[in-house]
Amino acid sequence: MQLVDRIEKRRFVGREFLLWVWFESEIFEGTLSTKEHGSFGLWIERQIVLSSGKAEVTRIRGAQPATSREAKEALRLGKLPELAGLHLSWREQEATFVLRAEQLALSGLSLPTVLGGAEEDAAPAALEPARPPRRRARGKEDAARAAERESDEAHESFYERMRLTRDVESIVEAIYRDFLALRLGPAWGNAVAPALRLWAEGGEVDVDRYRAARSATGGDAVRAAARPDGRRPAHAARSPAR
Amino acid sequence: MPALKGSLTYARFFVDGDLPDDFRERFMKAIRLRAMKPLDPDEDALERSGFCRVGEPFETDLGYEDVFYNEFVNLGFRTDRWVVPGPLLRARMREAEAAYLAKKGRERMSKREKTELKELVSKRLRRQLVPAMRAVDLSWSLSDGIVRFFSQAAAPAAAMTELFQKTFSLRLVPEAPYTLAARLGLKKAQESAWQDLEPTLLGEGT
Repeated sequence: MQLVDRIEKRRFVGREFLLWVWFESEIFEGTLSTKEHGSFGLWIERQIVLSSGKAEVTRIRGAQPATSREAKEALRLGKLPELAGLHLSWREQEATFVLRAEQLALSGLSLPTVLGGAEEDAAPAALEPARPPRRRARGKEDAARAAERESDEAHESFYERMRLTRDVESIVEAIYRDFLALRLGPAWGNAVAPALRLWAEGGEVDVDRYRAARSATGGDAVRAAARPDGRRPAHAARSPAR
Repeated sequence: MPALKGSLTYARFFVDGDLPDDFRERFMKAIRLRAMKPLDPDEDALERSGFCRVGEPFETDLGYEDVFYNEFVNLGFRTDRWVVPGPLLRARMREAEAAYLAKKGRERMSKREKTELKELVSKRLRRQLVPAMRAVDLSWSLSDGIVRFFSQAAAPAAAMTELFQKTFSLRLVPEAPYTLAARLGLKKAQESAWQDLEPTLLGEGT
């Protein structure tokens, strides 16, 4: 198979990945984990778009669009998610973005506050600490120094944005790696696909059984097990309740 | 300036190939060579792309510090295109045709004459217009071998890929479920399973 075929004819894998993220996020109550990143919060919010080659597109907007009856109905009609708004919460950081499944591309990635970024600029003036008025740069030397400082700030802000972007990408990639371990092995047909079908039909998935099956059959990562004390991790408090 | 401010919408490309030892000097030369040159109304080119400073489409005189941000190469990918409004072109063509026929004392023009006249009228109009400009940031992480192109539209991505390859002699592979899987590393059995993959059927419509 040519490279172009491997890319174009298997784009549906991206939709299945997003479907699986949705499924696991729901059954694990918005708390996932990977070997590399430990436990983090991930859930669908704001929007989800489902489609198939022959049916019309279903667009659902709202705080928890994936929990709507319409979303599961679309799955039963053979549609798969094309894109979804995701909320990621890790190490006291929050990010939201839209994942386009067939390209695995991120759009509207909104990062935590960064140095000199738009997020900081947008802070209401009343909440900002009082600052001494800026002196106007006088002479060429002052202007050059001001320009240099501005450039340094822009560079620092860029590095910070890229660091956070890489953090988000690294988590998405780790989840995708775990998905591939399942999707390209026997676990998919034996445990994951039946669980997905049951869930799409509105049935109750036996979470412990599913977790045991996926762990036993080779995924690199193990999903966050409930804590021995039964409490959810801190970020889970912010995730939507099922 | 999506790379520097605001929320990020981008497509990722994986860089296929190794960096030469003297890549900083070599790339700087290559980038300067392909820095954006504005369109001239009298030339034949109707569209041109080139590099500019990231977030500054009009800054095309690029220095080392404009481009290299430590391990990142940051550039703007600018495309200028002449867009002559159709109704304006048609109106000017009617006037020019009438003047031409009156001057020649004829009632009809040949196809070739019409084409040449259209070219002349378009050039005249271009002198009165400003080309439409589009600039998209791109950030190449040299350590990861990833280019983040801050647009998800197909046409600018294709044009950028072409210019990138010409400039750096390195191929760009767009991110997709397969290319990311390959980058993460598929085992032999997984590679073979990939080739045999069939969609998972969930519902009645499938």
